[in-house]
Amino acid sequence: MMQTLFLLTICAYSLGALGAILGGRGQLGRSLVGALAAIGATAGLLLGLTVIFTGQSFTAFVPALLPVGGGLALRLDPLGAFFLSVIGVVAIPASLYGIAYNEIYESERGSLRLLGAMFNLFLLAMSLVTLADNVFTFLLMWEGMSLTSYFLVITESDEAETIRAGNWYIAVTHVGVAFLVAAFLMLTGNASGAFSDLRVHASNLSPLARDLVFLLTLLGFGSKAGIIPLHVWLPRAHPAAPSYVSALMSGVMIKLGIYGLLRVALDFLGGGPAWWGVLVLVVGSVSAVLGVLYALMEHDLKRLLAYHSVENIGIILMGIGAGLLFHSYGSMSLAVLGLVGGLYHTLNHASFKGLLFLGAGSVLHATGTRNMEEMGGLMKRMPWTALFFLIGAAAISALPPLNGFVSEWLVFQALLKGLNIPGIEAAIAMPLAVGMLALTSGLAAACFVKAFGITFLAMPRSHEAESARESPLLMRIGMGMLAAICVVLGPGAIAVIPLLSRILVGLGGLAEVPVSLTEGVSLQVPTSSSQIALPTLALALLLAIGSIPVILKLLRVNFRLRRSESWGCGLTELTPRMEYTATAFAEPLRRVFAELYRPSKELTIDTHPESKYFVQSIAYRSEITPWFDRMLYTPLLHLIGYIANKIRRLQSGLVHLYLLYLALALMGLIFASRWIER
Amino acid sequence: MNDLLFSQLSTLVAASVLLFGILLVWRRSLLAYIKVFQWQSTMLTILFAIVAYFGNDPKLYWIGVLLFFLKVIFIPRLLQRFLVQIDVEREVAPYINTATSLVLTGVMVLLAQAMTNPLIRLITLPTRNGLPFAVALIFIGLFVIITRKKAFTQVLGFLVMENGIAMLAVLGTFGIPLIVELGVFLDLLMGFLVMQVFVYQIQGTFESIDVSKLNQLRY
Repeated sequence: MMQTLFLLTICAYSLGALGAILGGRGQLGRSLVGALAAIGATAGLLLGLTVIFTGQSFTAFVPALLPVGGGLALRLDPLGAFFLSVIGVVAIPASLYGIAYNEIYESERGSLRLLGAMFNLFLLAMSLVTLADNVFTFLLMWEGMSLTSYFLVITESDEAETIRAGNWYIAVTHVGVAFLVAAFLMLTGNASGAFSDLRVHASNLSPLARDLVFLLTLLGFGSKAGIIPLHVWLPRAHPAAPSYVSALMSGVMIKLGIYGLLRVALDFLGGGPAWWGVLVLVVGSVSAVLGVLYALMEHDLKRLLAYHSVENIGIILMGIGAGLLFHSYGSMSLAVLGLVGGLYHTLNHASFKGLLFLGAGSVLHATGTRNMEEMGGLMKRMPWTALFFLIGAAAISALPPLNGFVSEWLVFQALLKGLNIPGIEAAIAMPLAVGMLALTSGLAAACFVKAFGITFLAMPRSHEAESARESPLLMRIGMGMLAAICVVLGPGAIAVIPLLSRILVGLGGLAEVPVSLTEGVSLQVPTSSSQIALPTLALALLLAIGSIPVILKLLRVNFRLRRSESWGCGLTELTPRMEYTATAFAEPLRRVFAELYRPSKELTIDTHPESKYFVQSIAYRSEITPWFDRMLYTPLLHLIGYIANKIRRLQSGLVHLYLLYLALALMGLIFASRWIER
Repeated sequence: MNDLLFSQLSTLVAASVLLFGILLVWRRSLLAYIKVFQWQSTMLTILFAIVAYFGNDPKLYWIGVLLFFLKVIFIPRLLQRFLVQIDVEREVAPYINTATSLVLTGVMVLLAQAMTNPLIRLITLPTRNGLPFAVALIFIGLFVIITRKKAFTQVLGFLVMENGIAMLAVLGTFGIPLIVELGVFLDLLMGFLVMQVFVYQIQGTFESIDVSKLNQLRY
């Protein structure tokens, strides 16, 4: 059964890639490629769910094709299965959505064949990352995932901006891989690369080596997950990629960074000292707050979403950091709580961020622009997209009863329990993190009020927005599926959370935490006085608010519907120029956080030559350069450029000189060998 | 007695192979280079025959025959035709003049001697005294490639270096398996043909086969 599903996954993706190369054009070709991807994703999802539900790992038989590094070894344990399921959850809607979305590439705007093939291979590589059972397989698939996603990012390669985004992405991702290779080499030592050997070997490492492995892992996987300051590729690559690819990259691929971190820190190293947890918590808090702050200032819809990915990765890491911290103090059940919060937010973020990116893609598809200042009034023109986007926006803003609320609630609960453990780190870090998370949630809500309001409400601000049309059926189906998942995962937490806590059993000595279903869900936490009650109360409150109109109706309040013009302060006609803009909406926050943003302002007023009281035009420009660009990357790039220029002198262009280098190197080696011999 | 004869003969022939290598550094005419290469390959063939005879390894005869056809007859003929087509006769103004080159060659032979010395003391093969010559020949081939400007000379430098490697193989291990040897020959031939095409291209682009002008391609 599991073998069949596994084979189906592999075959469907491979066939999809092959089919795309042979001819993925036209309605039929696109449908076939997308459908195969969806089938592969479905099989993967089912495989993941089977492993989670039965709790039994699945070992795939792989013929010994590659003799290097122990060859390919594939095994799916519950943790991997969870992430495989997450891939499936987003990949199925994204594939279906892609069938319709790819229509814009039918004309020569990028190669549809390459896109289809890379899309399938990308999904395949991601799935196999979760299945990898030795270092070689893991790194191979990880690299495959990075490369295929790079090609997906540069799909619209006719734009210089896209190429630049691709360069950023590939550079950051390769630096990350370098860290990972170093970490895995240290972890492997003389043992074989099999993961089971790694667990044994890791326990023999010296504390210093363990710390080093952990730091390298955090940097390596963090660069993929998008922690600040390694997140620079996210706001560049996500807007450049096709929207459903962004949905996958943001919804799923960056989560595999979390997977890797959990795998190494918890599974191989078996947890560590308290400062590991504190470090992850700090990194998470910083990413969350800065991510959302920069998101607020973005008017490019997809860049905004990309910054929100940084924010949400931060929230996930806060949960995981809390989990690691509890783990180091031996409070296993609290550790489970934090980790479950992180994992659940992983799943939730995958669903609502996938949904939002698909929604943004739908808007982009209809209006041809990502700039929010040129949108507006799309709700009347694209009601379905607007509805789905609204659901996604509510979920990411953590409004009950949607899924985002539940997981953030769990993370909050975990952080608030920090007072239960001794240790000065926890006493400082946890309450601060609570504050950061609260700030983040509030700002995120503000940001999505902006994103939804400016994009969908009021009057169209441009001709493109005015002539926008609802997107094709398949795109709506894709969004609808994810919207449904967002809604279901809210109250569905009752069923999901016990499963998630079961996934963690056995990782780093975590035992199964008894989960009892009382009011909503509660995890029995022995060290604390209270239970963690899930949003029963909040749900009740929400229902109460929702019933207000009904009560009013019952009280026979006058509800006659009147249609008339909006009141325009006495003006006879309202124009789009009078509307609130995204910049204006974000202005108060820009002022509050001016110290962080340090916006550059440029105000030009053209007056009439006769009198300065007759203003002809006012131009206002304000730009924000993120501080990590200013403080970290610009100097770094300058330094690299400087060194490269120095090294370039070696490149004289003379063949003889190159050969001389070769000969000298040879001679040097020979003498070095003689010298070492003595 | 037999071993002594083997040792002396092989050393003598190996030395003559090296001598032709040094001739390459001395001469300037491209036509002479071809002759030098031809003679060097002939001596190498003889070396193969000696090793085959004393070492009782009949398959080395076959390799010797192949080597003869390839390096004494086929490649020199190709080189001659090549020379006619590129219409250049002399190697002018190398980076290092002839006298200095010869001194440096001497240094390289000494270097090779110093390098192989520990190895010679370690092994008991009758042919071991020829090993430094083989290594020196490799160095000389590399030296010719580095210091000469004409692409044609560099191709010859490569061929001489290859001869050095073949000599090292036959002296050090009494020949490598036939299938590997065949592969090496094929490699050599393909490499040579590719280089020939490149030289034509260089000539077509720069109207010269002076490799030092290639830095015009630099950005």
